[in-house]
Amino acid sequence: MPAIAPAVAHEAIVTDQPADSVSVVDLDVMKETGRIGVGGKPAGVALSPDKATAYVTAPDSKELIEIDAVSHAVKRRLVLGGAPLGIAAHPTLPEVYVADWYAHKLIVVDTVKFVVVGEIAVGLSPSGVAVTPDGRLLLSADRDSDAVSIIDVATRTRLGTVATGSRPFGITIDKAGARAFTANVKSDDVTVIDIAARTVVGKVPTGRRPYAIALAQGRGFVTDQYGGTITVFDQGALAPIKRIDACDHPEGIEADASETNVYVACWGDDVLLRIDPLSLKVTGKAPVGNGPRAFGKFIR
Amino acid sequence: MLKRLLIAAAIFGLAPLSLTGAAWAHGPSRQKVVESIEINAPADKVWAVIGNFQDASWIPAVAKTEGKGGNEPNATRTLTLKSGGTVEEQLDKYDAAEHSFGYEITKVDVKVLPINDYSSHVTVTANGDKSTVEWKGAFYRGYMLNDPPPELSDEVANKAITDLYTSTLAALKKKIEGGS
Repeated sequence: MPAIAPAVAHEAIVTDQPADSVSVVDLDVMKETGRIGVGGKPAGVALSPDKATAYVTAPDSKELIEIDAVSHAVKRRLVLGGAPLGIAAHPTLPEVYVADWYAHKLIVVDTVKFVVVGEIAVGLSPSGVAVTPDGRLLLSADRDSDAVSIIDVATRTRLGTVATGSRPFGITIDKAGARAFTANVKSDDVTVIDIAARTVVGKVPTGRRPYAIALAQGRGFVTDQYGGTITVFDQGALAPIKRIDACDHPEGIEADASETNVYVACWGDDVLLRIDPLSLKVTGKAPVGNGPRAFGKFIR
Repeated sequence: MLKRLLIAAAIFGLAPLSLTGAAWAHGPSRQKVVESIEINAPADKVWAVIGNFQDASWIPAVAKTEGKGGNEPNATRTLTLKSGGTVEEQLDKYDAAEHSFGYEITKVDVKVLPINDYSSHVTVTANGDKSTVEWKGAFYRGYMLNDPPPELSDEVANKAITDLYTSTLAALKKKIEGGS
């Protein structure tokens, strides 16, 4: 397949949970260029396929909030009930999937009509959600079941589960759609899953309380919430390379499309950090609102 | 006034509450408290008072510290409070050069402290002959599920931690500047 040069990321859409706001960060200059008041203690974030619209979960007000990522206007709000947190957008369809960690289900929202169009029963307390790049499968990290659910998007049925380490929270799928990685907050490791075979192919030790994972340059980057570090591991060898001193409570993490930079929301320090995935150095820092989480895919 | 009584009840174990439900699922929104104080003493002197994880006597609410592992990561300590409750803690990060440590609470009853999943950083920053101590906490409220009772709300959790930090830092300043 001929590679299409991926567009360089320009902005991050960062949920500032205690501040009840969403910060927009210009990644070229690492400066906050907008702050959108949304309320509801926003936490999870996903972007539409064209990346023009952001979808934010607000666990306190139990809402899904739709934001125009270009004009920064809040467009629509939808009360989902329960405790919406993890969220993922389909790569082509106008659908987002929201994890409700008390009701143990995923909620399917049609983003055109902005209504709930389905529910999918999963394991206990689903947290992170991710869709394979081909749009065929949906995966949820079912935290209190210590497992990942694998769901067929077309039929909205659970095909199977894969056991992980203890309390998986964030889940990330590689570009090939071959492997999924979960950050297991209680066992301090990452579980590596072969999605097609539905088996565990490896485990990588991390720092204290791993939260979420980014993939770039053949490496994995894990935010160690309590450790204040980023554990870097080799995706081939599934072995740790280095632990980067990062910040207080690093949480949401994502690489830009070109894998030139990895961005980390630092909940304790109220900044978005930039890390060079090759040199493994912190190369930039942008102040944002209080308590950034950016749990999901937040780079446009 | 009622609120204060409820807070006192929650802290001192008078609340007639039993928590049921999910053992680990936490409330929906993590809280953050950051308090700091300037102390008229060099950072080394302040660090000498607070930088030993096995001695929490600088926290007035603490009657006794018992632990193992020194100041190495994963060291543990059990604080026995003057009010009678205990708090079990673990050291996650320790940097003597940076005058900073990070720790978490591994076990505490919400009747002792109305919080869950607490982690914290304490940092001393030099400022000439003076120094600033910052105490930063991350935690969830005492009630693990949606729609908490008032005595285990976000507000009560924030108040309990804020009061602990401000009173402890004020006492620390007095202790060090008083020359003891």
